[in-house]
Amino acid sequence: MNALAFAWRSLVRQPARATLGVLGVAAVGALLFDMLLLSQGLIVSMRDLLARSGWDIRVSAGDLPGRGGRVSAATSTAERIAALPSVKAALMVRVANAQIERSGGGPPIGDAPSIGGGPPIAAVFEGIGGRSRHREPIAPPWTVVRGREARGDTEVVIDSAIAAAANLQVGGTITLRASCVSDREALPPARLTVVGIAEFPFAGTNEDAIGGSLDALKAACGGNVGDEADLLLVTSVGEPAETAAAIRAEIPHLNALTNDQVVGRLQQTGFTYFRQISAVLTTITVSFAVLLIAVLLTVSVNQRLGEIAALRALGFSRWRVVTDVLSESALIVGSGGILSLPLGLLLASGLDRILKEMPGIPADLHFFVFERDALFTHIGLLVATAVIAALYPMRIVSSLPIAATLRDEVIG
Amino acid sequence: MPDVIVDAQHVGRAFAMPAGPVHAVRDVTLQIRAGDHVAVRGPSGCGKSTLLHMLGCVDAPSSGTLLFDGRDVATLSDARRSALRLTRIGFIFQRFFLLPMLTAAENVELPLSEAGASKRDRQLRTKELLDYVGLSARADHRPSQLSGGEMQRVAIARALANRPQLLLADEPTGELDEATGAQIAALLDRVNADGTALVIVTHDHTLAERAARVLTMRDGCIEQETRQ
Repeated sequence: MNALAFAWRSLVRQPARATLGVLGVAAVGALLFDMLLLSQGLIVSMRDLLARSGWDIRVSAGDLPGRGGRVSAATSTAERIAALPSVKAALMVRVANAQIERSGGGPPIGDAPSIGGGPPIAAVFEGIGGRSRHREPIAPPWTVVRGREARGDTEVVIDSAIAAAANLQVGGTITLRASCVSDREALPPARLTVVGIAEFPFAGTNEDAIGGSLDALKAACGGNVGDEADLLLVTSVGEPAETAAAIRAEIPHLNALTNDQVVGRLQQTGFTYFRQISAVLTTITVSFAVLLIAVLLTVSVNQRLGEIAALRALGFSRWRVVTDVLSESALIVGSGGILSLPLGLLLASGLDRILKEMPGIPADLHFFVFERDALFTHIGLLVATAVIAALYPMRIVSSLPIAATLRDEVIG
Repeated sequence: MPDVIVDAQHVGRAFAMPAGPVHAVRDVTLQIRAGDHVAVRGPSGCGKSTLLHMLGCVDAPSSGTLLFDGRDVATLSDARRSALRLTRIGFIFQRFFLLPMLTAAENVELPLSEAGASKRDRQLRTKELLDYVGLSARADHRPSQLSGGEMQRVAIARALANRPQLLLADEPTGELDEATGAQIAALLDRVNADGTALVIVTHDHTLAERAARVLTMRDGCIEQETRQ
């Protein structure tokens, strides 16, 4: 009977204790796995999201896109950027808050839009205007899933949530007010035609979005829009880093970042909190697992000292009895570790849903992303847990005085 | 002296205690030869078990020399002593120390497995030993399903697994009633008659009287040796 089989029989001998250990490791392991997924999840997800958007470079007035002020003289800036040899296209993005009336609405009440079908729907209006050197069509930062792309100053695409809430179909009309300067503006409502239903990857989970041209946005804002952009999206024909450097050289007061540089900045700033939390919780969970297994094994070994001494007297080597303890630890941690994977994924899915409720988090961004490296780290930490937890009980059996223990067992 | 298994010359064993060393065994000179049947008796605390542990290489003398098969036990590494115990020495304990999660057969098989015997050899030897101790029918029973006498018989089978030269028994009938103790004593006689040297530490006069040599200990010393 090898050490592993022997350890298995020892565990089965005390099923309640073994079950407690396995379940404890499964619970702690699930948390550990989630912390590992969290530590890199946002970075991986954001990198993926940026890559899928089709734009290589983001130009903004602040240190990161979406932070700081707006890009002034946006049209001429976009033209200067588009004129650079390594730039394929540049797209101005202007964002405004909008209030959409529900269909069948009556006259406006006070400052609010008419809400015959219920309260107005708050949404983000993304207005875009592009500059391309070769007059090629420029893809918007959304994906039309039904209908067609919006054109001119009277057409928009909306997300499916707005379509459902306002009972709108492609070809329908929405009445909305957008605030391009201040939320306190009292503007007349604008009527725009819905020509498509689109997905907005950077819109928040609970954030509804509308997309259209800058002219459509201007119409919705009652013409009250300066020549400003929140962001300029750029596609390059060459190496994005070189193009970004060229943009920075051309317009030094703006920040031009490649997708990798954006991810790098986020890693150094906002996402650091998650990594720190993850590191702290990982340490705590691993420590808890070590303590749990160490206590269970120590109690188990202490209850079997007589048997272990007898085995040693019968000729079992010190190495063999130590291996038995290590095998027990490996079996508990291994079984719990296997259970921890589905449990961790289930938990990650629930936690991801909760965390994505935070305002401003793009719906397509995930906090917990499965990665092979996280799995390997998880396995590595569990192996380390099994070994570290077994150290003390292994020391007990390896240094067990055979004769004294046998004598004590008889006297006891 | 080719048939000498254990040669103890002036061995002593002292234990360090806060109040000063306690000499459990003092200046014992003793030889155990192949086929010997020795009983060690004496009052509690006189050093019987300590002597047995030294003879069985689980403890080393703090003075004197103890040779097992001509090798000085004090110079052997822990691993070599373990190997010596596994292949040359059998132990029987008052409390049996069978592993409760294993069947009788699996308990007997353990030392064979540790010694690296093949599965077929283990199975054959286990069956042979359970037949020998009269427990073939109980091979698949766990210790909790066996009586005290049956457990001790399984322990004897386990101790004989690797065909030891020397069988050491520490109060083998200590936890058994008189009738069961007599059965175990008869079994041990048979083991000895079949060629295994036997050293029994016991308080049981009946058991001691079955031995060819009876050593009486007092205060760590052999006070008297009687040959019967």
